[in-house]
Amino acid sequence: MPKFQIDGKEFEFKNGQTVLEVALENGIDIPHFCYHPLLSISGNCRMCLVEIEKMPKLMISCSTLAAEGMVVHTQSERAINARKAVMEFFLINHPLDCPICDEAGECKLQDYTYQHSIGESRFTETKNLKEKRVPLGPYVMFDGDRCIACSRCIRFCDEIAKSSQLTFVKRGDRVTIETFPGMQLDNSYSLNVTDICPVGALTNRDFRFKARVWDMSATKSVCIGCSRGCNIEVWVRSNEIMRLTPRFNPDVNQYWMCDEGRLKTWKHVNSDTRINGPQLRKNGTLAEVGWDEAYAFAISELKNFNKDEIGIILSSSASMEDNYMGIKFGKSVLGAKYFGYKSKVLKGSGDDILITDDKAPNTFGLELLLKSFSVRIENSFEQVMSLINEGKIKALLVIEDDILSGSEELNKTLDRLDLLIVTASNMNKTAEKAHIIFAASTYAEKNGTFVNVSGRIQRTKPAVVTSERERSLDGFEMSRLDKFGTEWDKWGKVNKIEARASWKILNGLGVVMGQKLKYNMAEEVFVDLSKTIDKLSGLDYRAIGETGVQLKLTNTN
Amino acid sequence: MHRIVLPDIKNLQEIDVYLANQGYYGARLAFQKSPDDIIEIVKKSGLRGRGGAAFLTGLKWSFMPKVTSKPKYLCVNGDESEPGSFKDRQIFEFNPHQLIEGILITCYAIGAQTAYIYIRGEYHKWIKPVQKAIDEAYNNGFIGSRMKETFGTQFSCDIFIHKGAGAYICGEESSLMNSIEGQRAYPRVKPPFPAQNGLWGNPTTINNVETITNVPPIIKNGSEWFSSIGEPKHPGTLLFGVSGHVNKPGVYELPTGTLLTDIIEKYAGGVINAKRIKCIIPGGTSMPPLKGDSIEGLKMDAESLRAAGSAIGTGGIIVMDEDTDLVKVLARMTKFYYHESCGQCTPCREGTGWMLKILKRILDGKGTKSDLDLLISIANNIDGNTVCALGEAAAWPVKFTIARFRDEFENRVNESIQIPVNNKVHSMRKTKNPIDNIEIR
Ligand SMILES: Cc1cc2nc3c(=O)[nH]c(=O)nc-3n(C[C@H](O)[C@H](O)[C@H](O)COP(=O)(O)O)c2cc1C
Ligand code: SF4
Ligand code: SF4
Ligand code: SF4
Repeated sequence: MPKFQIDGKEFEFKNGQTVLEVALENGIDIPHFCYHPLLSISGNCRMCLVEIEKMPKLMISCSTLAAEGMVVHTQSERAINARKAVMEFFLINHPLDCPICDEAGECKLQDYTYQHSIGESRFTETKNLKEKRVPLGPYVMFDGDRCIACSRCIRFCDEIAKSSQLTFVKRGDRVTIETFPGMQLDNSYSLNVTDICPVGALTNRDFRFKARVWDMSATKSVCIGCSRGCNIEVWVRSNEIMRLTPRFNPDVNQYWMCDEGRLKTWKHVNSDTRINGPQLRKNGTLAEVGWDEAYAFAISELKNFNKDEIGIILSSSASMEDNYMGIKFGKSVLGAKYFGYKSKVLKGSGDDILITDDKAPNTFGLELLLKSFSVRIENSFEQVMSLINEGKIKALLVIEDDILSGSEELNKTLDRLDLLIVTASNMNKTAEKAHIIFAASTYAEKNGTFVNVSGRIQRTKPAVVTSERERSLDGFEMSRLDKFGTEWDKWGKVNKIEARASWKILNGLGVVMGQKLKYNMAEEVFVDLSKTIDKLSGLDYRAIGETGVQLKLTNTN
Repeated sequence: MHRIVLPDIKNLQEIDVYLANQGYYGARLAFQKSPDDIIEIVKKSGLRGRGGAAFLTGLKWSFMPKVTSKPKYLCVNGDESEPGSFKDRQIFEFNPHQLIEGILITCYAIGAQTAYIYIRGEYHKWIKPVQKAIDEAYNNGFIGSRMKETFGTQFSCDIFIHKGAGAYICGEESSLMNSIEGQRAYPRVKPPFPAQNGLWGNPTTINNVETITNVPPIIKNGSEWFSSIGEPKHPGTLLFGVSGHVNKPGVYELPTGTLLTDIIEKYAGGVINAKRIKCIIPGGTSMPPLKGDSIEGLKMDAESLRAAGSAIGTGGIIVMDEDTDLVKVLARMTKFYYHESCGQCTPCREGTGWMLKILKRILDGKGTKSDLDLLISIANNIDGNTVCALGEAAAWPVKFTIARFRDEFENRVNESIQIPVNNKVHSMRKTKNPIDNIEIR
């Protein structure tokens, strides 16, 4: 391989790599604003200027190809002075409203100001003013004063979202961002521009002014909005989710996620429709009860039915662990024969970027499970529903799915049941009809695994505590407030929901009804289930890690 | 005396007159030679670009790939926006057919079948004669598919005018290509250079109008004829546009190497009221200004001007007499670059406005001595750190005017009475963009 030098050290490179790429690969941080690994090179910010021997001018490292024998200096006096100069230029008209800026704490301009600027301003003129608070679309707000004209947002729309909606207008230091006439920034990926905007010029309207970055914890997890399973971080303050952001995974979602996933997959976790503890139907109305009473009642009720009279609805949205316990409890404890799950495929709703047609994150995994137990997959849900209509199935256990949603006609079907038990995190149409509701934890409150559309198994991790957990003791990601908040801190009062993971609820029922194995942790369930599926054998949570493991696929998948 | 680009022939813009004076004969000769021969002749002639950088034209053409599956293009740069420069429009008005003939020969040499003449939008008056000439040339079979019959060659090409919308930056060659493509006229990061990756990603050559108009006579009369005119290292004639405090401002075609003092005295009628020259810009405002008392014996060609600490640029000579307020001049020039900066890259986008604000403050009598060094420092921080040469064009006048006329600037800041504290807090902001209020005429 050819070699060249950066700051006295020799590095190998592949032909076609730029100086900046090689530097970043080797942990040398050449500061940059407009360069983004997945966007075209723009070369406008001039922050990555370096000195290259035998070249008269300083060169931008983002567009200069590495060449055999090249000698690059990132720390020479000229290079350092150029960075200081560029930082000074950036700051002269910048509003410096860090104290009220959402970007503060994760702002490239702020960070580089500490690292690379002269620390004082020689600018004594009046700053330029631009439009503040311009809604560019339904989700994104623009602040012209803060924009450093790096063009990342424009290039993102053109090149990644494939819908050109943003442009620069005007010239010189009047340059600003606008949408094209008659257009809005409303592509399905619009909020990604708020992540890649190096400053607080583009902000998420859903998150603006909600929380300071350092007051939140960030937990690595996976989006449950569709079967792509984009890797995400769940940002929590005072036990409430404040926002989701995409997390880099080159094999799944790169740096991106869709707006639907970002905005619509977590509001239920904080919502007041949460089911707070188990409920039983007494005299026609649902009433909150303790876990023991709910278990006891469920067991005594279930005993009234034959094996053939019990149906179980699993969920392609629920984790491997929850579905596994659903099948295991159904088969070995109840002896049930009929299992089904309701497909969440919306034909034509996907695109060729990230969004898939299947609005469930774990269809692939659920089908692997069903196959390993030799359970019917095709039309399994319709079969269970018609058996209810025929009066053959009289008791139904629904695990984490609102089967009535979008299927009002099933109301009558469910009316025929003698017993409806559900595990659910939020009150929904199905739960409203239930005789017994077990309060279930959401994906944001538990460990779990999901297999995405291309057969990659990935983990969710708890970011929000429920009543059975403790932030510090149970190894949660911690924010500044979690670590240093006092008991008088008004943020410190956290609201904990009384809920359990579905696998735990089912295991609890099973143990009382004679099931041998008692599981204490989700990972124990996983290790057990991994033994029943060849493709998962040998895996554990550590092996799956933060970015998941691609399962080996055969033609039959 | 040689007049190559604007011969002294009445109504030469009429095709009949042009034809009666050996019009399109150069093209006919060229098509009998190989493209490589043409490039060789132009190389030997020593022709250098008239668009500002005085780059060797034959060498530039030789960068075009010989073998490629892509179409190739010629762009003829008639954006002519450099303040002090008004020469290309003389060609548009008085000798458009020689420009067209030059385009045909150039296209043949570099293998292009399409040429765009990019003309600044403000030149609508001069777009008409060029379009008329193009139409006539088409009608007479000198352009387009009929070229094959007219010249008995396999080669043919088309010529289109592309009208700019009025931005100095569109004269920068990569910006010009973006503009033709219908993109925002942002200069491109180089490399890749236009010969590899130009118009729509295809090999492209960009030349100035005057450069191309020099080509037919070179083909007709040979490279030795051309290289013997003027200064050997920068041969031929230049269209000098003289403006400012002279009695007869105008465009004068003179051999390179003509004395600057001769241009002013003999041709431009001398300085108005026979005043002394305080400052003179030899090549358009982007080039460093010279002191009036330093131009004795100064020849007007690329090498001599470089040695004198300036550059030939586009040959736009601006004469300023002893009464000129150079602070005001510099502020006005800086306002131009501030206004025309495309805003793509940080140093130029932010630096031009900053320099303007300081200069405006000095004009208002609120300058301080440290402002002068600050201005030079800002200019140095722009210089060399930008995407395109507009950065330098904005920085050089500031750097060199202050350096060469420091006394005048120091006197001005010493007269200041007030030290500014201008940074208003956020809540006090009432005005719109403060720079909108800056009036310098
Ligand atoms: C800001 C800027 C403006 C320019 N404007 C013009 C122009 O109006 N006309 C021109 O011929 N060249 C202009 N140039 C130079 C062109 O980029 C290019 O070098 C020239 O057209 C090449 O032609 P030549 O080789 O025949 O000189 C400009 C350059 C810059 C940086
Ligand atoms: S964008 Fe960055 S530097 Fe600017 S106000 Fe916001 S946090 Fe501060
Ligand atoms: S809005 Fe942000 S991403 Fe877009 S150009 Fe401005 S600073 Fe860059
Ligand atoms: S130097 Fe000025 S004109 Fe040239 S690209 Fe940069 S901002 Fe635009």
